[in-house]
Amino acid sequence: MDFFISQLISGLSMTSILLMVSLGLAIIYGTTGVINMAHGEFVMIGAYTSWILQTKLGMGLIASIIPIFIITAIMGFLIERLIIRHLYNRLLDTILATWGIGVLLQQLIRLTVGSELKYLKIPPFMAESMNLFGQEVSIYRVFIFLFAVAIFFLAWFIIYKTSFGIKLRAVTQNKDIASCFGINSGVVYSSTFAFGTGIAAVAGAFVAPLKSISPDMGTNYIIDAFMVVVLGGVESLIGTAASSLIIGESSSFLASFSNDTLAKALVLIMIIVILRIKPQGLFTKRIRS
Amino acid sequence: MTKKILKNDYFIYGLVCFSLFFVPVFLDDPFYINKSSTYICLGLLAVSLSLSWGYTGILNLGNAVFFGLGSYCMAMSLKLKTDAVHTGSGGLPDFMVWNNVEVLPWFWEPFYSLTFGVLAGIFVPVLLAIVLGFFIFRGRIAGVYVAIITLAVMLVVYLIIMDQQRFTGGFNGITDLVMLKVGGLEFDAYGSSAYYLIAAVMTIVIFLSLLITKSRAGLIFQAIRDDENRVRFLGYSVGTYKTAAMCLSAAIAGIAGMLYTIVMEFASPTFLAVPLSLSIVIWCAVGGRQSLLGSFLGAIVITAGQGFLSETETFLHTWTLIMGLVFVLTVLFLPKGIAGAFEKYLR
Repeated sequence: MDFFISQLISGLSMTSILLMVSLGLAIIYGTTGVINMAHGEFVMIGAYTSWILQTKLGMGLIASIIPIFIITAIMGFLIERLIIRHLYNRLLDTILATWGIGVLLQQLIRLTVGSELKYLKIPPFMAESMNLFGQEVSIYRVFIFLFAVAIFFLAWFIIYKTSFGIKLRAVTQNKDIASCFGINSGVVYSSTFAFGTGIAAVAGAFVAPLKSISPDMGTNYIIDAFMVVVLGGVESLIGTAASSLIIGESSSFLASFSNDTLAKALVLIMIIVILRIKPQGLFTKRIRS
Repeated sequence: MTKKILKNDYFIYGLVCFSLFFVPVFLDDPFYINKSSTYICLGLLAVSLSLSWGYTGILNLGNAVFFGLGSYCMAMSLKLKTDAVHTGSGGLPDFMVWNNVEVLPWFWEPFYSLTFGVLAGIFVPVLLAIVLGFFIFRGRIAGVYVAIITLAVMLVVYLIIMDQQRFTGGFNGITDLVMLKVGGLEFDAYGSSAYYLIAAVMTIVIFLSLLITKSRAGLIFQAIRDDENRVRFLGYSVGTYKTAAMCLSAAIAGIAGMLYTIVMEFASPTFLAVPLSLSIVIWCAVGGRQSLLGSFLGAIVITAGQGFLSETETFLHTWTLIMGLVFVLTVLFLPKGIAGAFEKYLR
């Protein structure tokens, strides 16, 4: 039983990271149809911004969340306006363009900050562990989990309960008709991109203390995040959360029988097989198109 | 008049292949001959992606997996020909001894034969392509999902190779390979012999690919790229054709991988990692993915530039930065790459 609970908890911890990283991707893909290969690099930029704010300016992790979100959201906004905007009529090329942007961001960091690994400490008041269902769990991981849930509900609130969300859903369903009703789809797209980028960066800031920070750290997240999105199905927030949970828990339990690397390979194979059977993902809404 | 000659693909392709045979005459330095050989191997890799992506519209982001598998097959064969340090000739490869492996694993056994190694270098990638084709194209998965699944498959193979260190050499790859010997011929990686071998294979591969793209099947490939549904309505089995295109691409990538191992004298998991795969896409996009020669030359020019600047790390990083920028700009303004712009000019 102890074994079960401990794997369950480590799975939840993985789930929360996956959810944070893939939420932005899911929102961007669901709304604009853009495959954002630079998403992992946004996570990386978030980690670096957090590192700069904390080591150079002496800010705390919690205090730096909002500046990180704002800085990277502006960056995302600019990238959308300058590059992505011109590619909405050839969506497959957005993979290439965003991949190129990813390379640019990585190289910019390499040339300015340097390639060597950077480390961030977990804030002191969260560095200890607490007792949860008879298991010692790091407070920081619990905090990340709660934060991921909070971000998820924030995204849900914005999409389903605000007037911006109504516009966003309208543009998602049919861009042209939405434009006819006076919705400025360009602004909706830019804001969505900025919002998704911001979330990715905040995720990066939270993940950074758990692992080292390096210019190519984004590559590790991008494929996982994509797997979450394609497994969950597009346009479905619940699907993203559920597939994060499925992937996180199955990785955790498989890892206990073999090791992390094999578990990851097995989970990827599992997802590819599932996609063969349900190409639209597990949690698709039936919509007329 | 010149325009008419330039329009003849066979002439241009022949000219490029022919002139590449003269590189060792002008370059006397073994180091540069070796470098040139590696650039040609990578050029063939670009040709392989051009066939699947440029001609058939399959954006395969994991193309390096075929290259890597080919390279490992060749490396396994060459490794078994070395005089093993610990167990003597024909014994266990050194890294297995370090990892406490007692007997040679069953899948290494057939690689004692070089012929098997070469065949495996082609057919293992093709087999993977068939399986992938079954999963992707039979299920009518298209567009973006293809890109992501191929990327994930490459990651799976990469992770398995890294994890099974006892049998694959893991992070270090397979090193200390013996020189390739066929009959009485020795192919020295730093001599012109290996270069001529590679140039010969290159000529055959490029011309076969060119013939394929001009054949009926090649036309159907291009039709699938332009409008998949229309081809389906005409009664062609789109899934089969796409799988065939992917198999061709895999075979070429496997051959390129084998040649690459011969000149590099090792096989490494970086041969099937994301950075290489990204580079292939960049070569094809910049060179012109809808032209075999464009992709080929794109790869050669970009990798040669990279090799030239790799003396210092800052230069290399700046070069990669510039390449990223060129890539983004090409995607935005020259969707068919430089070769596409060239063809437009010729018209």
